[in-house]
Amino acid sequence: MKEKRKPSSSATSPCAKLRAAYHDCFNRWYSEKFLKGQWEKEECVTEWQNYRNCLSQHLEDKHLSRFLEAEEAFGYPSAGRDRDDPSRPFKSSTSSQ
Amino acid sequence: MVKAYKQEHTYKHPWEIVTSASWRKFTDPENTQTLSHILEVETLDRSLDTTQGKLYTTRAITVHAPGPWFVRKIIGQDICHCVESSVVDARAKSMALTTRNVSLRKYLEVEEKSWYEPHPENPEGWTVCKQETSIKIKPLSALATMAEKVEQKCAEKFLQNSVKGRVVMERMCKYLESEASGFSL
Repeated sequence: MKEKRKPSSSATSPCAKLRAAYHDCFNRWYSEKFLKGQWEKEECVTEWQNYRNCLSQHLEDKHLSRFLEAEEAFGYPSAGRDRDDPSRPFKSSTSSQ
Repeated sequence: MVKAYKQEHTYKHPWEIVTSASWRKFTDPENTQTLSHILEVETLDRSLDTTQGKLYTTRAITVHAPGPWFVRKIIGQDICHCVESSVVDARAKSMALTTRNVSLRKYLEVEEKSWYEPHPENPEGWTVCKQETSIKIKPLSALATMAEKVEQKCAEKFLQNSVKGRVVMERMCKYLESEASGFSL
């Protein structure tokens, strides 16, 4: 059985518009600047602040406070191509075997 | 009681396109129908290392609870909250993501790690995505007696969802490529 139930917030999320505006800006910056080596300056700052402020106002009904605690506990994965990082499950190159 | 599995998939698109697509995967409105198990995604935190060219992101992902109906019955909930932490290293062309559930952790712990990197056989044109998932039922939880079955069912569900995820990724890659060739300045 398929439940069509979505959390009350999804379509009508109070932050949906601000979120979309931020995503538009971010996606453009990511493809056109960040990936091309222009990473010395942060962009989309206003869009980010507007969206983030909205989120913090609705932190409780979105259970976001719990996310923030978890985030601190876990930290970030390791990036880069350091092949001997023990947290990487795949050490050999893809073409092996 | 841990179920773990690895997957590897090659996208025949360059790394830049694939990682751009991955940012749009959950957030573009046209994908929400295919990825109906993803209920909501919010970006909680983002920071840019302006000297190294690394982008750090934390997102909150609300998903329809994994696994079969009897699991939902026992845990009394049908949504699950997850946190995704990611790092994109633009210089090294690497994107690493880790997703974990933050709710329902007294029942089960799911961790999914993914990497997107240029494919060694065709680094300019293809991207390899490697993924490792582990599902662990907590030993003393209400699910423990049927842990094996639950883990198996969860794994099946995750595999089905990753197929859907790849369909969306392909669609986004094609869209981005047509956009890049058609409208670039």
